[in-house]
Amino acid sequence: MAAPLISQGEVEWITAGVSYNTRNDGRKREDFRQLKVQLGMLAQATGSARVQLGETDVIVGVKAEIGVPDADRPDCGRIVFGVECSPVASPAFRGRGGDELSSELARALERSMYPGPSGRGGGIDLSVLSIVSGKTCWVLHVDALLLNIGGNLHDAVSAAAKAALADAKVPKVQVVPGEDPNGKRARLQLPGHSRAGCYSSVSDPEAGLAWPSKRVYEPDYEVDDDPSEAMRLDASGMPICITVSLIGGHCVVDLTVQEELCSAAAMQVAVDASGGVCGITKRRQKGIEASLAMEMIEVAQRAAAQLHTALSSSLAEQQGQQQMAVG
Amino acid sequence: MAGQREAQSVPWFADERPAEVIADGVRLDGRSLEEFRNVFLKTGVISQASGSAYAEFGHTKVMVGVYGPRQSERRVEYSEQGRINVDVKLASFATRQRGIFGQSPEERELSAGVQAALEAAADLASFPKASADVYVLVLEAGGGELGVAATAAALALADAGIELFDIVVACSVSRVDGCLLLDPSTDESFREQGGLVLALLPTSNEVTQLVSRGRWSGSQLREGLELAMGGCAQLESAARQCLKDAVVAAAAKQRQQQQQAQA
Repeated sequence: MAAPLISQGEVEWITAGVSYNTRNDGRKREDFRQLKVQLGMLAQATGSARVQLGETDVIVGVKAEIGVPDADRPDCGRIVFGVECSPVASPAFRGRGGDELSSELARALERSMYPGPSGRGGGIDLSVLSIVSGKTCWVLHVDALLLNIGGNLHDAVSAAAKAALADAKVPKVQVVPGEDPNGKRARLQLPGHSRAGCYSSVSDPEAGLAWPSKRVYEPDYEVDDDPSEAMRLDASGMPICITVSLIGGHCVVDLTVQEELCSAAAMQVAVDASGGVCGITKRRQKGIEASLAMEMIEVAQRAAAQLHTALSSSLAEQQGQQQMAVG
Repeated sequence: MAGQREAQSVPWFADERPAEVIADGVRLDGRSLEEFRNVFLKTGVISQASGSAYAEFGHTKVMVGVYGPRQSERRVEYSEQGRINVDVKLASFATRQRGIFGQSPEERELSAGVQAALEAAADLASFPKASADVYVLVLEAGGGELGVAATAAALALADAGIELFDIVVACSVSRVDGCLLLDPSTDESFREQGGLVLALLPTSNEVTQLVSRGRWSGSQLREGLELAMGGCAQLESAARQCLKDAVVAAAAKQRQQQQQAQA
Protein backbone atom coordinates (compact mmCIF):
# COMPACT_ATOMS: atom_id res chain seq x y z
CA MET A 1 0.00 0.00 0.00
CA ALA A 2 1.29 3.51 -0.70
CA ALA A 3 2.44 4.62 2.73
CA PRO A 4 1.18 8.09 3.55
CA LEU A 5 3.76 10.10 5.39
CA ILE A 6 3.37 11.14 8.97
CA SER A 7 5.65 13.36 10.99
CA GLN A 8 6.93 12.66 14.47
CA GLY A 9 4.98 15.66 15.78
CA GLU A 10 1.69 14.25 14.44
CA VAL A 11 2.45 10.86 15.98
CA GLU A 12 3.03 12.46 19.38
CA TRP A 13 -0.14 14.57 19.05
CA ILE A 14 -2.26 11.51 18.29
CA THR A 15 -0.62 9.38 21.01
CA ALA A 16 -1.11 12.09 23.63
CA GLY A 17 -4.72 12.54 22.56
CA VAL A 18 -5.38 8.83 22.91
CA SER A 19 -4.00 8.85 26.44
CA TYR A 20 -6.61 11.56 27.24
CA ASN A 21 -9.31 9.40 25.59
CA THR A 22 -9.78 11.91 22.74
CA ARG A 23 -9.12 11.42 19.07
CA ASN A 24 -8.80 13.86 16.18
CA ASP A 25 -12.44 13.55 15.15
CA GLY A 26 -13.73 13.83 18.72
CA ARG A 27 -14.37 10.10 19.26
CA LYS A 28 -13.41 8.19 22.37
CA ARG A 29 -11.06 5.19 22.22
CA GLU A 30 -13.82 2.60 21.87
CA ASP A 31 -16.16 4.53 19.54
CA PHE A 32 -16.85 3.54 15.98
CA ARG A 33 -17.38 5.92 13.09
CA GLN A 34 -20.77 6.07 11.47
CA LEU A 35 -21.76 2.87 9.69
CA LYS A 36 -23.84 3.14 6.50
CA VAL A 37 -25.19 -0.02 4.87
CA GLN A 38 -26.90 -0.41 1.51
CA LEU A 39 -28.33 -3.76 0.47
CA GLY A 40 -29.14 -5.29 -2.86
CA MET A 41 -27.67 -2.70 -5.23
CA LEU A 42 -26.22 -5.29 -7.61
CA ALA A 43 -28.99 -6.80 -9.70
CA GLN A 44 -26.87 -9.63 -11.13
CA ALA A 45 -25.62 -10.89 -7.79
CA THR A 46 -27.36 -13.34 -5.50
CA GLY A 47 -26.85 -10.87 -2.68
CA SER A 48 -24.89 -7.66 -2.30
CA ALA A 49 -24.07 -5.00 0.22
CA ARG A 50 -22.15 -1.75 0.35
CA VAL A 51 -20.72 -0.62 3.68
CA GLN A 52 -19.25 2.76 4.45
CA LEU A 53 -17.42 3.05 7.76
CA GLY A 54 -16.34 6.69 7.88
CA GLU A 55 -14.35 7.09 4.67
CA THR A 56 -13.73 3.39 4.07
CA ASP A 57 -15.95 2.09 1.26
CA VAL A 58 -16.43 -1.61 0.51
CA ILE A 59 -18.81 -3.46 -1.84
CA VAL A 60 -19.43 -7.18 -1.39
CA GLY A 61 -21.26 -9.34 -3.90
CA VAL A 62 -22.41 -12.92 -3.31
CA LYS A 63 -22.79 -15.31 -6.24
CA ALA A 64 -24.32 -18.74 -5.77
CA GLU A 65 -23.08 -21.54 -7.99
CA ILE A 66 -23.70 -25.27 -7.97
CA GLY A 67 -20.56 -27.20 -7.14
CA VAL A 68 -19.08 -30.21 -5.42
CA PRO A 69 -18.85 -30.39 -1.61
CA ASP A 70 -15.63 -30.98 0.33
CA ALA A 71 -14.63 -34.62 0.72
CA ASP A 72 -14.37 -34.07 4.49
CA ARG A 73 -17.86 -32.53 4.82
CA PRO A 74 -20.06 -34.23 2.25
CA ASP A 75 -23.39 -32.86 3.45
CA CYS A 76 -22.41 -29.22 3.69
CA GLY A 77 -22.10 -26.46 1.15
CA ARG A 78 -19.10 -24.17 0.77
CA ILE A 79 -18.45 -20.47 1.11
CA VAL A 80 -15.42 -19.10 -0.73
CA PHE A 81 -14.11 -15.63 0.12
CA GLY A 82 -12.22 -13.39 -2.25
CA VAL A 83 -11.09 -9.84 -1.80
CA GLU A 84 -9.95 -7.49 -4.53
CA CYS A 85 -8.08 -4.27 -3.91
CA SER A 86 -9.06 -1.95 -6.72
CA PRO A 87 -6.46 0.50 -8.10
CA VAL A 88 -9.20 3.09 -7.62
CA ALA A 89 -8.48 2.97 -3.92
CA SER A 90 -4.73 3.42 -4.13
CA PRO A 91 -2.16 3.51 -6.95
CA ALA A 92 -0.12 0.89 -5.09
CA PHE A 93 -2.79 -1.69 -5.98
CA ARG A 94 -1.96 -1.52 -9.68
CA GLY A 95 -1.24 -4.96 -11.13
CA ARG A 96 -0.28 -7.41 -8.37
CA GLY A 97 0.39 -4.77 -5.74
CA GLY A 98 -2.71 -5.49 -3.71
CA ASP A 99 -2.27 -9.28 -3.69
CA GLU A 100 -0.79 -9.55 -0.22
CA LEU A 101 -3.45 -7.40 1.40
CA SER A 102 -6.29 -9.16 -0.42
CA SER A 103 -5.13 -12.67 0.49
CA GLU A 104 -4.67 -11.51 4.12
CA LEU A 105 -8.24 -10.15 4.24
CA ALA A 106 -9.69 -13.21 2.52
CA ARG A 107 -7.95 -15.68 4.83
CA ALA A 108 -9.00 -13.69 7.91
CA LEU A 109 -12.65 -13.86 6.74
CA GLU A 110 -12.38 -17.58 6.03
CA ARG A 111 -10.90 -18.31 9.42
CA SER A 112 -13.58 -16.34 11.25
CA MET A 113 -16.16 -18.59 9.55
CA TYR A 114 -14.38 -21.85 10.45
CA PRO A 115 -17.20 -24.39 10.48
CA GLY A 116 -15.71 -27.14 12.63
CA PRO A 117 -15.71 -30.84 11.76
CA SER A 118 -19.48 -31.08 11.42
CA GLY A 119 -19.80 -28.02 9.18
CA ARG A 120 -22.40 -26.53 11.50
CA GLY A 121 -20.19 -24.73 13.99
CA GLY A 122 -19.39 -21.63 12.00
CA GLY A 123 -21.21 -18.35 11.52
CA ILE A 124 -23.51 -19.87 8.91
CA ASP A 125 -24.89 -23.38 9.07
CA LEU A 126 -23.40 -24.82 5.88
CA SER A 127 -25.69 -27.85 5.87
CA VAL A 128 -28.57 -25.74 4.47
CA LEU A 129 -26.49 -25.28 1.33
CA SER A 130 -26.33 -28.97 0.53
CA ILE A 131 -28.38 -30.22 -2.43
CA VAL A 132 -27.38 -33.86 -2.83
CA SER A 133 -25.19 -35.20 -0.04
CA GLY A 134 -21.69 -35.92 -1.27
CA LYS A 135 -22.37 -34.90 -4.86
CA THR A 136 -23.76 -31.41 -5.23
CA CYS A 137 -24.06 -28.35 -3.08
CA TRP A 138 -24.34 -24.61 -3.34
CA VAL A 139 -21.00 -22.82 -3.42
CA LEU A 140 -21.34 -19.17 -2.39
CA HIS A 141 -18.60 -16.97 -3.77
CA VAL A 142 -18.33 -13.89 -1.57
CA ASP A 143 -16.26 -11.26 -3.37
CA ALA A 144 -15.31 -7.99 -1.73
CA LEU A 145 -14.10 -4.94 -3.59
CA LEU A 146 -12.27 -2.14 -1.79
CA LEU A 147 -13.23 1.22 -3.22
CA ASN A 148 -11.81 3.72 -0.74
CA ILE A 149 -9.32 3.24 2.05
CA GLY A 150 -10.11 5.28 5.13
CA GLY A 151 -8.51 2.95 7.66
CA ASN A 152 -9.89 -0.15 9.37
CA LEU A 153 -10.42 -2.26 6.26
CA HIS A 154 -10.89 -5.61 8.02
CA ASP A 155 -13.87 -4.47 10.05
CA ALA A 156 -15.59 -2.90 7.05
CA VAL A 157 -15.03 -5.97 4.86
CA SER A 158 -16.35 -8.39 7.47
CA ALA A 159 -19.42 -6.22 8.19
CA ALA A 160 -20.11 -5.97 4.46
CA ALA A 161 -19.69 -9.74 4.00
CA LYS A 162 -22.19 -10.35 6.80
CA ALA A 163 -24.68 -7.89 5.28
CA ALA A 164 -24.31 -9.39 1.81
CA LEU A 165 -24.85 -12.93 3.10
CA ALA A 166 -27.92 -11.75 5.01
CA ASP A 167 -29.19 -10.23 1.77
CA ALA A 168 -28.46 -13.32 -0.35
CA LYS A 169 -31.46 -15.11 -1.81
CA VAL A 170 -30.37 -18.61 -2.79
CA PRO A 171 -32.76 -20.09 -5.38
CA LYS A 172 -34.76 -23.12 -4.42
CA VAL A 173 -33.45 -26.31 -6.01
CA GLN A 174 -35.39 -29.52 -6.41
CA VAL A 175 -33.74 -32.79 -7.29
CA VAL A 176 -35.98 -34.75 -9.65
CA PRO A 177 -35.50 -38.22 -11.08
CA GLY A 178 -33.50 -38.18 -14.27
CA GLU A 179 -35.32 -38.95 -17.52
CA ASP A 180 -33.78 -41.47 -19.88
CA PRO A 181 -33.41 -39.42 -23.09
CA ASN A 182 -33.95 -41.55 -26.21
CA GLY A 183 -32.74 -44.78 -24.70
CA LYS A 184 -29.31 -43.33 -23.96
CA ARG A 185 -27.89 -45.09 -20.95
CA ALA A 186 -26.48 -43.03 -18.10
CA ARG A 187 -23.44 -44.12 -16.13
CA LEU A 188 -23.52 -47.27 -14.03
CA GLN A 189 -22.70 -47.21 -10.36
CA LEU A 190 -20.97 -49.99 -8.46
CA PRO A 191 -22.80 -51.39 -5.44
CA GLY A 192 -22.05 -49.63 -2.18
CA HIS A 193 -21.78 -46.22 -3.83
CA SER A 194 -25.41 -45.38 -4.36
CA ARG A 195 -26.25 -41.77 -3.60
CA ALA A 196 -29.48 -39.93 -4.15
CA GLY A 197 -30.95 -40.37 -7.58
CA CYS A 198 -33.45 -42.82 -8.91
CA TYR A 199 -32.75 -46.23 -10.24
CA SER A 200 -34.86 -48.38 -12.45
CA SER A 201 -34.95 -52.15 -12.36
CA VAL A 202 -31.71 -54.01 -12.51
CA SER A 203 -32.35 -56.72 -14.99
CA ASP A 204 -31.36 -55.99 -18.55
CA PRO A 205 -31.08 -58.95 -20.89
CA GLU A 206 -28.92 -57.02 -23.34
CA ALA A 207 -26.43 -55.81 -20.81
CA GLY A 208 -24.74 -59.11 -20.07
CA LEU A 209 -23.32 -57.73 -16.86
CA ALA A 210 -21.18 -60.04 -14.82
CA TRP A 211 -21.92 -58.47 -11.44
CA PRO A 212 -25.14 -57.12 -9.87
CA SER A 213 -25.43 -53.38 -10.21
CA LYS A 214 -27.99 -50.63 -10.08
CA ARG A 215 -28.53 -48.55 -13.15
CA VAL A 216 -28.59 -44.95 -11.98
CA TYR A 217 -29.60 -41.98 -14.03
CA GLU A 218 -28.03 -38.56 -13.47
CA PRO A 219 -30.46 -36.60 -11.26
CA ASP A 220 -31.94 -33.48 -12.76
CA TYR A 221 -32.09 -30.18 -10.97
CA GLU A 222 -35.06 -27.87 -11.19
CA VAL A 223 -34.15 -24.35 -10.15
CA ASP A 224 -37.10 -22.20 -9.12
CA ASP A 225 -36.85 -18.61 -10.39
CA ASP A 226 -39.51 -17.23 -8.09
CA PRO A 227 -37.83 -14.77 -5.66
CA SER A 228 -40.44 -15.40 -3.00
CA GLU A 229 -39.49 -19.10 -2.97
CA ALA A 230 -35.80 -18.31 -2.51
CA MET A 231 -33.99 -19.39 0.64
CA ARG A 232 -32.66 -16.63 2.89
CA LEU A 233 -29.55 -17.43 4.90
CA ASP A 234 -29.52 -16.98 8.63
CA ALA A 235 -26.50 -14.73 9.02
CA SER A 236 -27.31 -13.70 12.58
CA GLY A 237 -24.63 -15.98 14.00
CA MET A 238 -21.95 -14.65 11.67
CA PRO A 239 -19.09 -12.86 13.40
CA ILE A 240 -17.75 -9.38 12.64
CA CYS A 241 -14.04 -8.72 12.82
CA ILE A 242 -12.90 -5.96 15.17
CA THR A 243 -9.37 -4.61 14.96
CA VAL A 244 -8.06 -3.42 18.32
CA SER A 245 -4.77 -1.52 18.13
CA LEU A 246 -2.32 -0.31 20.70
CA ILE A 247 -1.39 3.37 20.61
CA GLY A 248 0.91 4.33 23.43
CA GLY A 249 -0.23 1.36 25.53
CA HIS A 250 -3.99 2.10 25.20
CA CYS A 251 -6.48 -0.02 23.27
CA VAL A 252 -8.13 1.85 20.40
CA VAL A 253 -10.81 0.69 17.99
CA ASP A 254 -11.62 1.73 14.40
CA LEU A 255 -8.50 3.60 13.42
CA THR A 256 -8.21 6.11 10.59
CA VAL A 257 -5.29 5.91 8.18
CA GLN A 258 -3.22 8.41 10.19
CA GLU A 259 -3.87 6.64 13.47
CA GLU A 260 -2.84 3.31 11.92
CA LEU A 261 0.61 4.77 11.29
CA CYS A 262 0.98 5.52 15.02
CA SER A 263 0.16 2.03 16.20
CA ALA A 264 2.79 -0.67 16.48
CA ALA A 265 0.66 -3.66 17.48
CA ALA A 266 -2.87 -4.78 16.71
CA MET A 267 -5.17 -7.74 17.26
CA GLN A 268 -7.98 -8.66 14.94
CA VAL A 269 -10.73 -10.41 16.85
CA ALA A 270 -13.83 -11.81 15.15
CA VAL A 271 -16.74 -11.69 17.59
CA ASP A 272 -20.26 -12.93 17.01
CA ALA A 273 -23.48 -11.42 18.31
CA SER A 274 -23.41 -13.44 21.55
CA GLY A 275 -19.86 -12.34 22.43
CA GLY A 276 -18.06 -15.56 21.44
CA VAL A 277 -14.62 -15.11 19.93
CA CYS A 278 -14.49 -16.74 16.50
CA GLY A 279 -10.99 -15.98 15.30
CA ILE A 280 -7.96 -14.02 16.44
CA THR A 281 -4.98 -12.82 14.44
CA LYS A 282 -2.21 -10.64 15.73
CA ARG A 283 -0.92 -8.07 13.27
CA ARG A 284 1.99 -5.66 13.01
CA GLN A 285 5.47 -5.85 14.37
CA LYS A 286 5.60 -5.29 18.07
CA GLY A 287 4.89 -7.88 20.75
CA ILE A 288 1.97 -7.53 23.17
CA GLU A 289 2.23 -8.35 26.85
CA ALA A 290 0.06 -11.36 27.72
CA SER A 291 -2.35 -9.65 30.14
CA LEU A 292 -2.72 -6.72 27.75
CA ALA A 293 -3.61 -9.23 25.02
CA MET A 294 -6.52 -10.54 27.12
CA GLU A 295 -7.62 -6.93 27.76
CA MET A 296 -7.63 -6.24 24.02
CA ILE A 297 -9.84 -9.27 23.44
CA GLU A 298 -12.30 -7.98 26.05
CA VAL A 299 -12.31 -4.52 24.43
CA ALA A 300 -13.06 -6.21 21.11
CA GLN A 301 -16.00 -8.10 22.63
CA ARG A 302 -17.45 -4.83 23.99
CA ALA A 303 -16.94 -2.95 20.75
CA ALA A 304 -18.41 -5.82 18.73
CA ALA A 305 -21.69 -5.57 20.64
CA GLN A 306 -21.92 -1.91 19.47
CA LEU A 307 -21.20 -2.76 15.86
CA HIS A 308 -23.55 -5.74 15.80
CA THR A 309 -26.51 -3.63 17.01
CA ALA A 310 -25.70 -0.87 14.50
CA LEU A 311 -25.47 -3.42 11.66
CA SER A 312 -28.58 -5.41 12.53
CA SER A 313 -30.74 -2.29 12.93
CA SER A 314 -29.51 -1.09 9.52
CA LEU A 315 -30.20 -4.49 7.98
CA ALA A 316 -33.68 -4.72 9.48
CA GLU A 317 -34.51 -1.25 8.16
CA GLN A 318 -33.25 -2.03 4.67
CA GLN A 319 -34.99 -5.38 4.47
CA GLY A 320 -38.21 -3.80 5.71
CA GLN A 321 -37.96 -1.25 2.91
CA GLN A 322 -37.38 -3.99 0.36
CA GLN A 323 -40.46 -5.87 1.53
CA MET A 324 -42.58 -2.75 1.21
CA ALA A 325 -41.26 -2.10 -2.30
CA VAL A 326 -42.11 -5.63 -3.47
CA GLY A 327 -45.38 -6.24 -1.63
CA MET B 1 -22.31 -27.65 -14.09
CA ALA B 2 -20.13 -24.88 -12.81
CA GLY B 3 -17.73 -25.39 -9.93
CA GLN B 4 -15.18 -27.97 -10.99
CA ARG B 5 -12.66 -29.10 -8.38
CA GLU B 6 -8.97 -28.60 -9.12
CA ALA B 7 -8.03 -32.26 -8.65
CA GLN B 8 -9.71 -34.49 -11.19
CA SER B 9 -8.26 -37.62 -9.65
CA VAL B 10 -9.86 -39.26 -6.63
CA PRO B 11 -7.57 -39.41 -3.61
CA TRP B 12 -7.09 -42.76 -1.91
CA PHE B 13 -6.18 -42.98 1.74
CA ALA B 14 -4.84 -46.03 3.50
CA ASP B 15 -6.83 -45.33 6.65
CA GLU B 16 -9.80 -43.23 7.67
CA ARG B 17 -9.49 -40.48 10.24
CA PRO B 18 -10.45 -41.73 13.72
CA ALA B 19 -13.78 -40.50 15.02
CA GLU B 20 -12.86 -40.43 18.72
CA VAL B 21 -9.58 -38.81 19.65
CA ILE B 22 -9.85 -38.77 23.40
CA ALA B 23 -11.12 -41.38 25.87
CA ASP B 24 -11.03 -41.08 29.68
CA GLY B 25 -8.48 -38.30 29.64
CA VAL B 26 -6.03 -40.24 27.48
CA ARG B 27 -5.36 -39.36 23.87
CA LEU B 28 -4.98 -41.72 20.92
CA ASP B 29 -1.19 -41.84 21.18
CA GLY B 30 -1.28 -42.39 24.94
CA ARG B 31 -0.42 -38.82 25.96
CA SER B 32 -2.18 -36.93 28.72
CA LEU B 33 -4.08 -33.75 27.85
CA GLU B 34 -1.18 -31.43 28.70
CA GLU B 35 1.72 -33.38 27.32
CA PHE B 36 3.85 -32.50 24.33
CA ARG B 37 4.74 -35.00 21.65
CA ASN B 38 8.37 -36.12 21.49
CA VAL B 39 10.37 -32.98 20.77
CA PHE B 40 13.71 -32.99 18.95
CA LEU B 41 15.54 -29.75 18.13
CA LYS B 42 18.88 -29.34 16.39
CA THR B 43 20.66 -26.41 14.80
CA GLY B 44 23.39 -26.29 12.18
CA VAL B 45 21.91 -28.85 9.79
CA ILE B 46 22.39 -26.98 6.49
CA SER B 47 26.01 -26.22 5.65
CA GLN B 48 25.29 -23.54 2.99
CA ALA B 49 22.99 -21.45 5.16
CA SER B 50 24.02 -18.74 7.61
CA GLY B 51 21.90 -20.53 10.17
CA SER B 52 19.59 -23.50 10.15
CA ALA B 53 17.48 -25.65 12.41
CA TYR B 54 15.55 -28.90 12.30
CA ALA B 55 12.57 -29.48 14.58
CA GLU B 56 10.57 -32.64 15.07
CA PHE B 57 7.40 -32.64 17.18
CA GLY B 58 6.08 -36.18 16.88
CA HIS B 59 5.04 -36.50 13.24
CA THR B 60 5.60 -32.84 12.36
CA LYS B 61 9.03 -32.36 10.81
CA VAL B 62 10.24 -28.90 9.86
CA MET B 63 13.55 -27.73 8.46
CA VAL B 64 14.50 -24.05 8.40
CA GLY B 65 17.36 -22.30 6.61
CA VAL B 66 18.26 -18.64 7.21
CA TYR B 67 20.26 -16.72 4.64
CA GLY B 68 21.43 -13.31 5.68
CA PRO B 69 21.51 -10.60 6.70
CA ARG B 70 22.12 -9.86 3.04
CA GLN B 71 20.99 -7.53 0.31
CA SER B 72 17.30 -8.04 -0.53
CA GLU B 73 16.69 -9.98 -3.72
CA ARG B 74 13.52 -8.07 -4.47
CA ARG B 75 13.47 -4.35 -5.07
CA VAL B 76 12.19 -2.89 -1.83
CA GLU B 77 11.92 0.59 -0.42
CA TYR B 78 14.71 2.06 1.67
CA SER B 79 14.27 1.18 5.30
CA GLU B 80 16.36 2.03 8.35
CA GLN B 81 15.33 -1.24 9.86
CA GLY B 82 16.22 -4.68 8.65
CA ARG B 83 13.59 -6.99 7.18
CA ILE B 84 12.73 -10.59 7.81
CA ASN B 85 11.22 -12.40 4.81
CA VAL B 86 9.64 -15.74 5.51
CA ASP B 87 8.79 -18.32 2.89
CA VAL B 88 7.00 -21.45 4.04
CA LYS B 89 6.58 -24.41 1.73
CA LEU B 90 4.89 -27.69 2.48
CA ALA B 91 6.57 -30.57 0.68
CA SER B 92 4.20 -32.28 -1.72
CA PHE B 93 4.35 -35.47 0.37
CA ALA B 94 3.88 -33.61 3.66
CA THR B 95 0.11 -33.66 3.82
CA ARG B 96 -2.48 -36.40 3.49
CA GLN B 97 -3.43 -35.25 0.02
CA ARG B 98 -0.68 -34.42 -2.45
CA GLY B 99 0.16 -30.74 -2.48
CA ILE B 100 -0.10 -28.44 -5.51
CA PHE B 101 2.76 -26.82 -7.37
CA GLY B 102 3.56 -23.28 -6.28
CA GLN B 103 2.50 -21.60 -3.08
CA SER B 104 -1.04 -22.21 -1.88
CA PRO B 105 -3.02 -19.71 0.24
CA GLU B 106 -2.39 -21.84 3.34
CA GLU B 107 1.35 -21.54 2.81
CA ARG B 108 1.07 -17.77 2.33
CA GLU B 109 -0.86 -17.54 5.56
CA LEU B 110 1.74 -19.67 7.36
CA SER B 111 4.49 -17.41 5.99
CA ALA B 112 2.72 -14.29 7.26
CA GLY B 113 2.12 -15.98 10.62
CA VAL B 114 5.76 -17.02 11.12
CA GLN B 115 6.97 -13.59 9.99
CA ALA B 116 4.81 -11.83 12.56
CA ALA B 117 6.05 -14.23 15.24
CA LEU B 118 9.72 -13.45 14.47
CA GLU B 119 9.64 -9.71 13.81
CA ALA B 120 9.02 -8.71 17.39
CA ALA B 121 11.89 -10.86 18.62
CA ALA B 122 14.65 -9.77 16.26
CA ASP B 123 16.64 -6.58 16.74
CA LEU B 124 15.86 -5.26 13.27
CA ALA B 125 17.90 -2.11 13.85
CA SER B 126 21.06 -4.23 13.95
CA PHE B 127 20.96 -4.92 10.21
CA PRO B 128 19.51 -1.85 8.49
CA LYS B 129 18.76 -1.95 4.76
CA ALA B 130 19.49 -5.71 4.71
CA SER B 131 17.10 -8.59 4.93
CA ALA B 132 17.23 -11.99 6.57
CA ASP B 133 15.56 -14.60 4.38
CA VAL B 134 14.00 -17.45 6.31
CA TYR B 135 13.05 -20.49 4.24
CA VAL B 136 10.87 -23.02 6.01
CA LEU B 137 10.27 -26.47 4.56
CA VAL B 138 7.66 -28.65 6.20
CA LEU B 139 8.69 -32.22 5.50
CA GLU B 140 5.76 -33.81 7.29
CA ALA B 141 2.67 -31.98 8.48
CA GLY B 142 1.52 -33.91 11.53
CA GLY B 143 -0.25 -31.04 13.33
CA GLY B 144 0.68 -27.64 14.75
CA GLU B 145 2.81 -26.58 11.77
CA LEU B 146 2.69 -22.85 12.54
CA GLY B 147 3.96 -23.33 16.08
CA VAL B 148 6.74 -25.74 15.15
CA ALA B 149 7.82 -23.57 12.20
CA ALA B 150 7.99 -20.44 14.39
CA THR B 151 10.09 -22.20 17.06
CA ALA B 152 12.43 -23.74 14.49
CA ALA B 153 12.78 -20.42 12.64
CA ALA B 154 13.71 -18.63 15.86
CA LEU B 155 16.42 -21.25 16.56
CA ALA B 156 17.70 -20.84 13.02
CA LEU B 157 17.87 -17.05 13.41
CA ALA B 158 19.84 -17.51 16.63
CA ASP B 159 22.13 -19.98 14.84
CA ALA B 160 22.69 -17.40 12.10
CA GLY B 161 23.98 -14.93 14.67
CA ILE B 162 21.15 -12.44 14.17
CA GLU B 163 20.61 -10.49 17.38
CA LEU B 164 17.39 -11.44 19.12
CA PHE B 165 15.78 -9.88 22.17
CA ASP B 166 14.57 -13.30 23.25
CA ILE B 167 13.98 -16.74 21.77
CA VAL B 168 10.48 -17.25 20.34
CA VAL B 169 8.65 -20.38 21.41
CA ALA B 170 5.25 -21.34 20.04
CA CYS B 171 2.72 -24.05 20.70
CA SER B 172 -0.84 -24.95 19.73
CA VAL B 173 -3.90 -25.84 21.76
CA SER B 174 -7.06 -27.58 20.49
CA ARG B 175 -10.50 -27.75 22.06
CA VAL B 176 -12.16 -31.12 21.41
CA ASP B 177 -15.48 -31.91 23.14
CA GLY B 178 -14.79 -29.35 25.84
CA CYS B 179 -11.30 -30.68 26.68
CA LEU B 180 -8.22 -28.59 26.00
CA LEU B 181 -5.42 -30.55 24.30
CA LEU B 182 -1.86 -29.24 24.18
CA ASP B 183 0.16 -29.76 21.00
CA PRO B 184 -2.54 -31.55 18.93
CA SER B 185 -1.80 -33.89 16.05
CA THR B 186 -3.66 -33.59 12.71
CA ASP B 187 -6.23 -36.23 13.70
CA GLU B 188 -7.00 -34.29 16.88
CA SER B 189 -7.18 -30.88 15.23
CA PHE B 190 -9.43 -32.30 12.51
CA ARG B 191 -12.05 -33.02 15.20
CA GLU B 192 -11.65 -29.72 17.06
CA GLN B 193 -14.34 -27.15 17.75
CA GLY B 194 -11.66 -24.50 18.16
CA GLY B 195 -7.90 -24.16 18.07
CA LEU B 196 -5.26 -21.57 18.82
CA VAL B 197 -1.54 -21.03 18.26
CA LEU B 198 0.47 -18.82 20.58
CA ALA B 199 4.02 -17.57 20.02
CA LEU B 200 5.67 -16.02 23.05
CA LEU B 201 8.86 -14.29 24.18
CA PRO B 202 9.11 -16.17 27.48
CA THR B 203 11.27 -13.82 29.53
CA SER B 204 9.12 -10.72 29.03
CA ASN B 205 5.90 -12.73 28.55
CA GLU B 206 5.19 -10.88 25.31
CA VAL B 207 2.84 -12.36 22.75
CA THR B 208 4.34 -12.11 19.27
CA GLN B 209 1.69 -14.13 17.47
CA LEU B 210 -1.78 -15.32 18.40
CA VAL B 211 -3.98 -17.05 15.85
CA SER B 212 -7.25 -18.70 16.74
CA ARG B 213 -10.09 -20.37 14.84
CA GLY B 214 -13.45 -21.76 15.89
CA ARG B 215 -15.72 -20.30 18.52
CA TRP B 216 -14.27 -19.62 21.97
CA SER B 217 -16.08 -18.07 24.92
CA GLY B 218 -14.13 -15.60 27.09
CA SER B 219 -13.37 -18.09 29.87
CA GLN B 220 -12.43 -20.91 27.48
CA LEU B 221 -10.06 -18.53 25.72
CA ARG B 222 -8.38 -17.53 28.97
CA GLU B 223 -7.90 -21.20 29.93
CA GLY B 224 -6.58 -22.03 26.48
CA LEU B 225 -4.09 -19.14 26.60
CA GLU B 226 -2.88 -20.19 30.04
CA LEU B 227 -2.35 -23.75 28.86
CA ALA B 228 -0.46 -22.48 25.83
CA MET B 229 1.73 -20.21 27.97
CA GLY B 230 2.55 -23.16 30.22
CA GLY B 231 3.45 -25.21 27.16
CA CYS B 232 5.70 -22.43 25.88
CA ALA B 233 7.52 -22.35 29.22
CA GLN B 234 8.27 -26.08 28.83
CA LEU B 235 9.51 -25.56 25.29
CA GLU B 236 11.75 -22.67 26.27
CA SER B 237 14.05 -24.86 28.33
CA ALA B 238 14.31 -27.36 25.46
CA ALA B 239 15.12 -24.56 23.00
CA ARG B 240 17.80 -23.01 25.23
CA GLN B 241 19.34 -26.43 25.82
CA CYS B 242 19.50 -27.03 22.08
CA LEU B 243 21.38 -23.75 21.53
CA LYS B 244 23.77 -24.46 24.40
CA ASP B 245 24.52 -27.93 23.02
CA ALA B 246 25.24 -26.42 19.62
CA VAL B 247 27.69 -23.91 21.10
CA VAL B 248 29.43 -26.60 23.17
CA ALA B 249 29.72 -28.90 20.16
CA ALA B 250 31.12 -26.09 18.00
CA ALA B 251 33.71 -25.19 20.65
CA ALA B 252 34.78 -28.83 21.00
CA LYS B 253 35.13 -29.18 17.24
CA GLN B 254 37.24 -26.02 17.08
CA ARG B 255 39.53 -27.29 19.83
CA GLN B 256 39.92 -30.61 18.01
CA GLN B 257 40.82 -28.84 14.76
CA GLN B 258 43.39 -26.68 16.53
CA GLN B 259 44.97 -29.76 18.11
CA GLN B 260 45.12 -31.50 14.75
CA ALA B 261 46.67 -28.43 13.16
CA GLN B 262 49.36 -28.33 15.85
CA ALA B 263 50.06 -32.05 15.70
